Amino acid sequence: MTTLLYTHSACQEHDTGFGHPECAARLTAILNALGTAPFAALERRDPPEATREQLTRIHSQSHVEHVLDRIPKQKYYAIDGDTVVSPRSGEAALRAAGAACAAVDAVLRQEANNAFCAIRPPGHHAEPAQAMGFCLFNNAAIGAAHARAVHGLERVAVIDFDVHHGNGTQAAFEHDPGYLYVSTHQAYIYPGTGRREERGVGNIVNVPLLAESGSADLRHAWHQDIEPALRRFQPKLILISAGFDAHYLDPLAELNFNEDDYEWLTREILAVAADCCEGRVVSVLEGGYNLSALAASVAIHVKALMEAPRAAQRALVKDILERRKAKRNENDS
Amino acid sequence: MYEFLHYQIRDVMTVDPIAISPKAKLREAEELFETHDFNGVPVVDSQRYLLGMLTKFDLLNAFRFDAHTLVPHYDDIMEQTVETVMTREPITVAPQLPLSRLLQKLVEIRTKSLPVVEEGQRLVGIISRQDVLKALRRATTKREVLTHEDPAP
Repeated sequence: MTTLLYTHSACQEHDTGFGHPECAARLTAILNALGTAPFAALERRDPPEATREQLTRIHSQSHVEHVLDRIPKQKYYAIDGDTVVSPRSGEAALRAAGAACAAVDAVLRQEANNAFCAIRPPGHHAEPAQAMGFCLFNNAAIGAAHARAVHGLERVAVIDFDVHHGNGTQAAFEHDPGYLYVSTHQAYIYPGTGRREERGVGNIVNVPLLAESGSADLRHAWHQDIEPALRRFQPKLILISAGFDAHYLDPLAELNFNEDDYEWLTREILAVAADCCEGRVVSVLEGGYNLSALAASVAIHVKALMEAPRAAQRALVKDILERRKAKRNENDS
Repeated sequence: MYEFLHYQIRDVMTVDPIAISPKAKLREAEELFETHDFNGVPVVDSQRYLLGMLTKFDLLNAFRFDAHTLVPHYDDIMEQTVETVMTREPITVAPQLPLSRLLQKLVEIRTKSLPVVEEGQRLVGIISRQDVLKALRRATTKREVLTHEDPAP
Protein backbone atom coordinates (compact mmCIF):
# COMPACT_ATOMS: atom_id res chain seq x y z
CA MET A 1 0.00 0.00 0.00
CA THR A 2 1.37 3.29 -1.03
CA THR A 3 0.47 6.71 -2.37
CA LEU A 4 -0.36 7.01 -6.06
CA LEU A 5 0.60 9.94 -8.25
CA TYR A 6 -1.66 10.55 -11.23
CA THR A 7 -0.36 12.92 -13.88
CA HIS A 8 -0.29 13.09 -17.67
CA SER A 9 1.85 14.86 -20.25
CA ALA A 10 -1.29 16.34 -21.84
CA CYS A 11 -1.78 18.35 -18.65
CA GLN A 12 1.57 20.03 -19.30
CA GLU A 13 0.61 20.75 -22.90
CA HIS A 14 -2.51 22.69 -21.90
CA ASP A 15 -1.23 26.11 -23.03
CA THR A 16 -3.03 29.14 -21.58
CA GLY A 17 -0.98 31.81 -23.34
CA PHE A 18 2.03 33.95 -22.56
CA GLY A 19 2.43 34.90 -18.91
CA HIS A 20 -0.80 33.23 -17.75
CA PRO A 21 -0.50 32.35 -14.05
CA GLU A 22 -2.16 28.95 -14.54
CA CYS A 23 0.73 27.71 -16.66
CA ALA A 24 2.44 24.44 -17.54
CA ALA A 25 5.47 25.46 -15.47
CA ARG A 26 3.34 24.84 -12.38
CA LEU A 27 3.23 21.12 -13.11
CA THR A 28 6.88 21.07 -14.12
CA ALA A 29 7.82 22.60 -10.76
CA ILE A 30 5.63 20.10 -8.91
CA LEU A 31 6.89 17.06 -10.82
CA ASN A 32 10.50 18.15 -10.35
CA ALA A 33 9.90 18.32 -6.60
CA LEU A 34 8.14 14.94 -6.61
CA GLY A 35 10.98 13.46 -8.67
CA THR A 36 13.46 13.74 -5.80
CA ALA A 37 14.61 10.91 -3.54
CA PRO A 38 12.08 11.35 -0.70
CA PHE A 39 9.32 10.57 -3.20
CA ALA A 40 10.83 7.42 -4.68
CA ALA A 41 8.05 5.32 -3.17
CA LEU A 42 5.33 7.21 -5.06
CA GLU A 43 3.71 5.02 -7.68
CA ARG A 44 3.13 7.09 -10.81
CA ARG A 45 0.20 6.26 -13.07
CA ASP A 46 -1.11 7.73 -16.32
CA PRO A 47 -4.81 8.52 -16.06
CA PRO A 48 -7.25 7.61 -18.84
CA GLU A 49 -9.53 10.24 -20.34
CA ALA A 50 -12.76 10.70 -18.43
CA THR A 51 -15.76 9.17 -20.17
CA ARG A 52 -18.86 11.16 -21.13
CA GLU A 53 -20.71 9.19 -18.48
CA GLN A 54 -18.27 10.30 -15.79
CA LEU A 55 -18.39 13.96 -16.88
CA THR A 56 -22.16 14.15 -17.16
CA ARG A 57 -22.70 13.01 -13.59
CA ILE A 58 -21.74 16.62 -12.76
CA HIS A 59 -21.95 18.57 -16.01
CA SER A 60 -24.71 18.96 -18.55
CA GLN A 61 -24.20 17.19 -21.86
CA SER A 62 -24.28 20.58 -23.55
CA HIS A 63 -21.52 21.94 -21.29
CA VAL A 64 -19.25 19.04 -22.17
CA GLU A 65 -19.90 19.52 -25.88
CA HIS A 66 -19.54 23.31 -25.57
CA VAL A 67 -16.11 23.04 -23.96
CA LEU A 68 -14.77 20.37 -26.30
CA ASP A 69 -16.14 22.15 -29.40
CA ARG A 70 -14.25 25.29 -28.47
CA ILE A 71 -10.81 23.71 -28.42
CA PRO A 72 -9.07 25.44 -31.35
CA LYS A 73 -6.93 23.62 -33.91
CA GLN A 74 -4.29 26.29 -33.44
CA LYS A 75 -3.58 29.28 -31.21
CA TYR A 76 -5.96 30.15 -28.40
CA TYR A 77 -9.61 30.58 -27.61
CA ALA A 78 -10.71 32.54 -24.54
CA ILE A 79 -13.84 31.06 -22.96
CA ASP A 80 -13.78 34.06 -20.67
CA GLY A 81 -11.16 36.71 -19.98
CA ASP A 82 -8.91 34.34 -18.06
CA THR A 83 -10.10 30.87 -19.07
CA VAL A 84 -8.10 30.09 -22.16
CA VAL A 85 -7.94 26.91 -24.23
CA SER A 86 -5.55 25.78 -26.92
CA PRO A 87 -5.17 22.61 -29.06
CA ARG A 88 -4.14 20.26 -26.22
CA SER A 89 -6.58 21.62 -23.63
CA GLY A 90 -9.34 19.16 -24.45
CA GLU A 91 -7.25 16.10 -23.73
CA ALA A 92 -5.74 17.75 -20.66
CA ALA A 93 -9.20 18.45 -19.23
CA LEU A 94 -10.35 14.89 -19.97
CA ARG A 95 -7.21 13.40 -18.39
CA ALA A 96 -7.58 15.68 -15.37
CA ALA A 97 -11.13 14.52 -14.70
CA GLY A 98 -10.11 10.97 -15.62
CA ALA A 99 -7.33 11.14 -13.03
CA ALA A 100 -9.79 11.96 -10.26
CA CYS A 101 -11.97 8.97 -11.25
CA ALA A 102 -9.03 6.58 -11.65
CA ALA A 103 -7.61 7.65 -8.29
CA VAL A 104 -10.99 7.06 -6.65
CA ASP A 105 -11.15 3.59 -8.22
CA ALA A 106 -7.64 2.68 -7.06
CA VAL A 107 -8.14 3.89 -3.51
CA LEU A 108 -11.51 2.18 -3.16
CA ARG A 109 -10.07 -1.05 -4.55
CA GLN A 110 -7.39 -0.73 -1.87
CA GLU A 111 -4.57 -0.56 -4.38
CA ALA A 112 -3.27 2.37 -2.35
CA ASN A 113 -3.88 4.29 0.83
CA ASN A 114 -4.43 7.53 -0.97
CA ALA A 115 -3.59 9.39 -4.16
CA PHE A 116 -2.52 12.79 -5.44
CA CYS A 117 -3.57 14.01 -8.88
CA ALA A 118 -1.00 16.47 -10.29
CA ILE A 119 -3.29 17.73 -13.01
CA ARG A 120 -4.41 20.86 -14.80
CA PRO A 121 -6.63 22.55 -15.80
CA PRO A 122 -7.95 22.88 -12.25
CA GLY A 123 -11.62 22.22 -11.62
CA HIS A 124 -13.36 23.74 -8.63
CA HIS A 125 -14.75 26.85 -10.38
CA ALA A 126 -16.33 24.79 -13.17
CA GLU A 127 -20.07 24.75 -12.59
CA PRO A 128 -22.43 22.11 -14.01
CA ALA A 129 -23.03 24.28 -17.08
CA GLN A 130 -20.26 26.89 -16.99
CA ALA A 131 -16.49 26.85 -17.47
CA MET A 132 -14.81 29.70 -15.63
CA GLY A 133 -11.85 30.76 -13.51
CA PHE A 134 -9.24 28.65 -15.40
CA CYS A 135 -11.50 25.57 -14.93
CA LEU A 136 -13.23 23.47 -17.60
CA PHE A 137 -14.49 20.33 -15.84
CA ASN A 138 -14.86 19.98 -12.07
CA ASN A 139 -12.33 17.23 -11.41
CA ALA A 140 -12.96 16.80 -7.68
CA ALA A 141 -16.75 16.81 -8.05
CA ILE A 142 -16.54 14.33 -10.91
CA GLY A 143 -14.37 12.06 -8.76
CA ALA A 144 -16.84 12.32 -5.88
CA ALA A 145 -19.80 11.51 -8.13
CA HIS A 146 -17.89 8.57 -9.57
CA ALA A 147 -17.29 7.18 -6.07
CA ARG A 148 -20.98 7.30 -5.30
CA ALA A 149 -22.26 6.02 -8.63
CA VAL A 150 -19.78 3.21 -9.27
CA HIS A 151 -18.69 2.21 -5.79
CA GLY A 152 -22.02 2.84 -4.10
CA LEU A 153 -20.63 5.10 -1.40
CA GLU A 154 -23.40 6.82 0.52
CA ARG A 155 -21.47 9.86 1.64
CA VAL A 156 -18.50 11.59 0.01
CA ALA A 157 -16.85 14.78 1.32
CA VAL A 158 -14.79 17.33 -0.57
CA ILE A 159 -12.58 19.63 1.46
CA ASP A 160 -11.30 22.63 -0.50
CA PHE A 161 -8.43 24.71 0.88
CA ASP A 162 -7.73 26.67 -2.31
CA VAL A 163 -7.73 30.42 -1.54
CA HIS A 164 -10.70 30.90 -3.88
CA HIS A 165 -14.15 29.51 -3.17
CA GLY A 166 -15.11 26.43 -5.19
CA ASN A 167 -18.36 27.80 -6.56
CA GLY A 168 -18.53 24.96 -9.08
CA THR A 169 -18.31 22.20 -6.49
CA GLN A 170 -20.82 23.96 -4.30
CA ALA A 171 -23.23 24.35 -7.22
CA ALA A 172 -22.88 20.65 -8.08
CA PHE A 173 -23.49 19.45 -4.51
CA GLU A 174 -25.81 21.94 -2.85
CA HIS A 175 -29.04 19.99 -3.36
CA ASP A 176 -27.67 16.52 -2.55
CA PRO A 177 -27.14 15.51 1.10
CA GLY A 178 -24.95 12.61 -0.01
CA TYR A 179 -22.15 15.13 -0.52
CA LEU A 180 -20.45 17.43 1.95
CA TYR A 181 -18.49 20.43 0.64
CA VAL A 182 -16.26 22.25 3.12
CA SER A 183 -14.22 25.24 2.01
CA THR A 184 -11.78 27.76 3.47
CA HIS A 185 -11.11 30.71 1.19
CA GLN A 186 -10.38 34.42 1.24
CA ALA A 187 -13.56 36.45 1.62
CA TYR A 188 -14.66 39.03 -0.98
CA ILE A 189 -12.35 37.90 -3.79
CA TYR A 190 -13.08 35.79 -6.89
CA PRO A 191 -15.60 34.25 -7.52
CA GLY A 192 -17.62 36.15 -4.89
CA THR A 193 -19.47 33.12 -3.56
CA GLY A 194 -18.76 31.16 -0.38
CA ARG A 195 -20.47 33.21 2.28
CA ARG A 196 -21.23 31.41 5.53
CA GLU A 197 -24.96 31.72 4.87
CA GLU A 198 -24.62 29.53 1.77
CA ARG A 199 -25.39 26.19 3.39
CA GLY A 200 -27.04 24.09 0.66
CA VAL A 201 -29.22 21.45 2.30
CA GLY A 202 -27.03 21.66 5.38
CA ASN A 203 -24.22 20.02 3.40
CA ILE A 204 -22.18 23.10 2.49
CA VAL A 205 -19.81 24.57 5.07
CA ASN A 206 -18.11 27.80 4.00
CA VAL A 207 -15.44 29.36 6.17
CA PRO A 208 -14.42 32.65 4.55
CA LEU A 209 -11.21 34.16 5.94
CA LEU A 210 -10.28 37.84 5.87
CA ALA A 211 -7.21 39.09 3.98
CA GLU A 212 -3.94 38.47 5.86
CA SER A 213 -5.39 35.51 7.79
CA GLY A 214 -2.74 32.92 8.53
CA SER A 215 -1.83 29.81 10.50
CA ALA A 216 -3.82 30.63 13.63
CA ASP A 217 -6.95 31.44 11.64
CA LEU A 218 -6.64 28.21 9.68
CA ARG A 219 -6.38 26.20 12.91
CA HIS A 220 -9.34 28.02 14.38
CA ALA A 221 -11.41 27.32 11.25
CA TRP A 222 -10.42 23.66 11.35
CA HIS A 223 -11.31 23.11 15.00
CA GLN A 224 -14.40 25.32 14.99
CA ASP A 225 -16.04 24.40 11.71
CA ILE A 226 -14.28 21.98 9.40
CA GLU A 227 -13.38 19.02 11.58
CA PRO A 228 -16.74 18.93 13.39
CA ALA A 229 -18.58 19.07 10.05
CA LEU A 230 -16.46 16.26 8.62
CA ARG A 231 -16.90 14.04 11.68
CA ARG A 232 -20.65 14.65 11.83
CA PHE A 233 -20.95 13.69 8.17
CA GLN A 234 -18.90 10.47 8.50
CA PRO A 235 -17.73 10.38 4.87
CA LYS A 236 -16.83 7.08 3.23
CA LEU A 237 -14.22 8.89 1.12
CA ILE A 238 -12.59 12.31 1.35
CA LEU A 239 -11.48 14.25 -1.70
CA ILE A 240 -9.26 17.28 -1.31
CA SER A 241 -9.46 20.24 -3.67
CA ALA A 242 -5.82 21.02 -3.03
CA GLY A 243 -5.07 24.59 -4.06
CA PHE A 244 -1.94 26.15 -2.63
CA ASP A 245 -2.65 29.81 -3.40
CA ALA A 246 -3.40 30.69 0.22
CA HIS A 247 0.41 30.68 0.59
CA TYR A 248 1.93 33.94 1.83
CA LEU A 249 3.91 34.41 -1.40
CA ASP A 250 1.08 33.74 -3.82
CA PRO A 251 0.40 36.69 -6.15
CA LEU A 252 -3.34 36.11 -6.59
CA ALA A 253 -4.63 36.52 -3.06
CA GLU A 254 -3.76 37.71 0.42
CA LEU A 255 -3.83 34.83 2.88
CA ASN A 256 -0.67 33.86 4.73
CA PHE A 257 -0.49 30.07 4.96
CA ASN A 258 2.96 28.48 4.86
CA GLU A 259 4.29 25.01 4.04
CA ASP A 260 3.96 23.86 7.65
CA ASP A 261 0.28 24.81 7.61
CA TYR A 262 -0.29 22.60 4.58
CA GLU A 263 1.48 19.72 6.30
CA TRP A 264 -0.53 20.20 9.47
CA LEU A 265 -3.82 20.45 7.60
CA THR A 266 -3.06 17.37 5.50
CA ARG A 267 -2.29 15.33 8.61
CA GLU A 268 -5.50 16.53 10.27
CA ILE A 269 -7.55 15.51 7.22
CA LEU A 270 -5.80 12.13 7.17
CA ALA A 271 -6.60 11.60 10.85
CA VAL A 272 -10.29 12.21 10.19
CA ALA A 273 -10.12 9.91 7.17
CA ALA A 274 -8.48 7.22 9.29
CA ASP A 275 -11.36 7.40 11.76
CA CYS A 276 -14.20 7.70 9.23
CA CYS A 277 -13.20 5.88 6.07
CA GLU A 278 -10.12 3.72 6.56
CA GLY A 279 -7.89 6.58 5.49
CA ARG A 280 -9.28 6.86 1.97
CA VAL A 281 -8.22 10.20 0.56
CA VAL A 282 -7.90 11.44 -3.02
CA SER A 283 -6.25 14.84 -3.40
CA VAL A 284 -6.67 16.84 -6.61
CA LEU A 285 -4.56 19.86 -7.53
CA GLU A 286 -6.37 23.19 -7.92
CA GLY A 287 -4.55 26.58 -7.76
CA GLY A 288 -1.20 27.87 -6.53
CA TYR A 289 0.69 30.42 -8.63
CA ASN A 290 4.06 31.09 -7.01
CA LEU A 291 6.05 28.26 -8.56
CA SER A 292 8.53 27.64 -5.76
CA ALA A 293 5.91 28.03 -3.03
CA LEU A 294 3.63 25.70 -4.97
CA ALA A 295 6.30 23.03 -5.43
CA ALA A 296 7.34 23.16 -1.78
CA SER A 297 3.74 23.07 -0.55
CA VAL A 298 2.74 20.19 -2.80
CA ALA A 299 5.85 18.28 -1.75
CA ILE A 300 5.02 18.57 1.93
CA HIS A 301 1.37 17.72 1.24
CA VAL A 302 2.30 14.59 -0.70
CA LYS A 303 4.89 13.60 1.91
CA ALA A 304 2.17 13.73 4.54
CA LEU A 305 -0.05 11.58 2.31
CA MET A 306 2.77 9.05 1.96
CA GLU A 307 3.26 8.94 5.70
CA ALA A 308 -0.42 8.39 6.42
CA PRO A 309 -0.80 5.62 8.93
CA ARG A 310 -1.91 2.55 7.06
CA ALA A 311 -5.51 1.78 7.67
CA ALA A 312 -4.76 -1.84 8.49
CA GLN A 313 -2.04 -0.87 10.94
CA ARG A 314 -4.30 1.60 12.63
CA ALA A 315 -7.07 -0.96 12.93
CA LEU A 316 -4.60 -3.42 14.45
CA VAL A 317 -3.30 -0.92 16.99
CA LYS A 318 -6.82 0.13 17.85
CA ASP A 319 -7.77 -3.51 18.34
CA ILE A 320 -4.78 -4.19 20.61
CA LEU A 321 -5.48 -1.09 22.68
CA GLU A 322 -9.12 -2.02 23.10
CA ARG A 323 -8.27 -5.55 24.17
CA ARG A 324 -5.78 -4.22 26.71
CA LYS A 325 -8.37 -1.83 28.01
CA ALA A 326 -10.96 -4.59 28.28
CA LYS A 327 -8.48 -6.77 30.13
CA ARG A 328 -7.60 -3.94 32.49
CA ASN A 329 -11.28 -3.38 33.21
CA GLU A 330 -11.64 -7.12 33.85
CA ASN A 331 -8.73 -7.08 36.28
CA ASP A 332 -10.04 -3.99 38.01
CA SER A 333 -13.47 -5.48 38.68
CA MET B 1 -1.52 42.09 -16.88
CA TYR B 2 -0.37 38.50 -16.23
CA GLU B 3 3.23 39.72 -16.34
CA PHE B 4 2.53 41.92 -13.33
CA LEU B 5 1.73 38.82 -11.26
CA HIS B 6 5.34 37.72 -11.63
CA TYR B 7 6.77 40.93 -10.16
CA GLN B 8 8.04 41.01 -6.62
CA ILE B 9 8.88 44.07 -4.56
CA ARG B 10 12.61 43.54 -5.04
CA ASP B 11 12.18 43.88 -8.82
CA VAL B 12 11.00 47.50 -8.64
CA MET B 13 11.90 48.92 -5.21
CA THR B 14 14.49 51.65 -4.65
CA VAL B 15 17.51 49.72 -3.41
CA ASP B 16 19.51 51.00 -0.41
CA PRO B 17 17.47 54.17 -0.09
CA ILE B 18 18.55 57.36 1.67
CA ALA B 19 17.79 56.95 5.37
CA ILE B 20 18.17 59.14 8.42
CA SER B 21 19.56 58.68 11.93
CA PRO B 22 17.25 58.84 14.94
CA LYS B 23 19.50 61.54 16.38
CA ALA B 24 19.22 63.79 13.33
CA LYS B 25 17.32 67.03 13.73
CA LEU B 26 13.92 67.50 12.17
CA ARG B 27 15.50 70.35 10.20
CA GLU B 28 17.68 67.82 8.33
CA ALA B 29 14.67 65.65 7.66
CA GLU B 30 12.78 68.62 6.31
CA GLU B 31 15.67 69.37 3.95
CA LEU B 32 15.58 65.78 2.71
CA PHE B 33 11.88 66.05 1.96
CA GLU B 34 12.50 69.35 0.23
CA THR B 35 15.29 68.14 -2.06
CA HIS B 36 14.09 64.60 -2.85
CA ASP B 37 10.31 64.82 -2.83
CA PHE B 38 10.11 61.85 -0.44
CA ASN B 39 6.85 60.94 1.24
CA GLY B 40 8.73 59.44 4.11
CA VAL B 41 12.26 58.49 5.03
CA PRO B 42 13.36 55.33 6.90
CA VAL B 43 15.03 55.86 10.27
CA VAL B 44 17.92 53.43 10.78
CA ASP B 45 20.77 52.75 13.20
CA SER B 46 24.42 52.64 12.11
CA GLN B 47 24.01 49.04 10.86
CA ARG B 48 20.98 50.09 8.82
CA TYR B 49 18.50 48.23 10.98
CA LEU B 50 15.12 49.89 10.73
CA LEU B 51 14.01 51.83 13.83
CA GLY B 52 11.06 53.71 12.36
CA MET B 53 9.72 55.83 9.52
CA LEU B 54 9.55 59.58 9.42
CA THR B 55 6.80 60.85 7.14
CA LYS B 56 5.60 64.33 6.32
CA PHE B 57 2.65 63.64 8.57
CA ASP B 58 5.03 62.90 11.46
CA LEU B 59 6.64 66.29 10.86
CA LEU B 60 3.28 68.05 10.81
CA ASN B 61 2.33 66.12 13.92
CA ALA B 62 5.11 67.92 15.80
CA PHE B 63 3.27 71.18 15.17
CA ARG B 64 -0.10 70.17 16.54
CA PHE B 65 -1.55 72.08 19.45
CA ASP B 66 -0.76 70.52 22.78
CA ALA B 67 -1.06 71.30 26.49
CA HIS B 68 2.42 72.78 26.81
CA THR B 69 2.62 75.56 24.23
CA LEU B 70 0.11 78.10 23.07
CA VAL B 71 1.79 78.62 19.72
CA PRO B 72 4.17 75.99 18.27
CA HIS B 73 7.49 77.59 17.32
CA TYR B 74 9.10 76.50 14.09
CA ASP B 75 12.77 76.84 15.02
CA ASP B 76 12.36 75.11 18.39
CA ILE B 77 10.52 72.20 16.87
CA MET B 78 12.99 71.82 14.05
CA GLU B 79 15.71 71.34 16.65
CA GLN B 80 13.97 68.21 17.99
CA THR B 81 15.43 64.85 17.02
CA VAL B 82 13.83 62.51 14.53
CA GLU B 83 13.28 59.82 17.14
CA THR B 84 10.91 62.05 19.11
CA VAL B 85 8.31 62.18 16.33
CA MET B 86 9.01 59.21 14.05
CA THR B 87 6.52 56.37 13.58
CA ARG B 88 7.85 53.46 15.60
CA GLU B 89 7.24 49.86 14.55
CA PRO B 90 6.17 50.89 11.04
CA ILE B 91 4.49 48.44 8.70
CA THR B 92 7.22 46.75 6.69
CA VAL B 93 7.23 44.41 3.71
CA ALA B 94 9.55 41.64 2.56
CA PRO B 95 11.45 41.92 -0.76
CA GLN B 96 9.89 38.71 -2.09
CA LEU B 97 6.28 39.83 -1.56
CA PRO B 98 4.39 39.79 -4.89
CA LEU B 99 3.71 43.32 -6.13
CA SER B 100 0.06 42.38 -6.61
CA ARG B 101 -0.21 41.85 -2.87
CA LEU B 102 1.68 45.04 -2.00
CA LEU B 103 -0.79 46.95 -4.15
CA GLN B 104 -3.73 45.68 -2.05
CA LYS B 105 -1.87 46.59 1.13
CA LEU B 106 -1.01 50.15 0.04
CA VAL B 107 -4.60 50.87 -0.87
CA GLU B 108 -5.93 49.21 2.26
CA ILE B 109 -3.77 51.23 4.66
CA ARG B 110 -3.52 54.30 2.39
CA THR B 111 0.21 54.61 2.85
CA LYS B 112 2.34 56.19 0.15
CA SER B 113 5.51 54.18 0.64
CA LEU B 114 6.72 51.30 2.79
CA PRO B 115 10.17 50.26 3.98
CA VAL B 116 11.39 46.92 2.64
CA VAL B 117 13.31 44.81 5.17
CA GLU B 118 15.04 41.47 5.26
CA GLU B 119 14.63 39.11 8.16
CA GLY B 120 15.97 40.81 11.25
CA GLN B 121 14.61 44.20 10.09
CA ARG B 122 17.65 45.25 8.03
CA LEU B 123 16.55 47.93 5.58
CA VAL B 124 17.07 46.89 1.96
CA GLY B 125 14.75 49.21 0.07
CA ILE B 126 11.71 51.39 -0.10
CA ILE B 127 8.67 50.91 -2.29
CA SER B 128 6.17 53.59 -3.26
CA ARG B 129 2.85 53.99 -5.06
CA GLN B 130 4.76 55.42 -7.99
CA ASP B 131 6.93 52.28 -8.26
CA VAL B 132 3.79 50.13 -8.44
CA LEU B 133 2.14 52.34 -11.04
CA LYS B 134 5.28 52.21 -13.15
CA ALA B 135 5.45 48.43 -12.85
CA LEU B 136 1.81 48.12 -13.90
CA ARG B 137 2.51 50.14 -17.00
CA ARG B 138 5.70 48.25 -17.79
CA ALA B 139 4.05 44.87 -17.29
CA THR B 140 1.19 45.65 -19.62
CA THR B 141 2.89 47.53 -22.43
CA LYS B 142 5.63 44.97 -23.05
CA ARG B 143 3.62 42.50 -25.04
CA GLU B 144 -0.03 41.83 -25.64
CA VAL B 145 -0.76 38.52 -24.06
CA LEU B 146 -3.83 37.02 -25.58
CA THR B 147 -5.09 36.70 -29.07
CA HIS B 148 -8.79 36.08 -29.09
CA GLU B 149 -9.43 33.56 -31.81
CA ASP B 150 -12.68 32.27 -33.12
CA PRO B 151 -13.39 28.72 -32.06
CA ALA B 152 -12.24 26.01 -34.38
CA PRO B 153 -15.05 24.83 -36.62
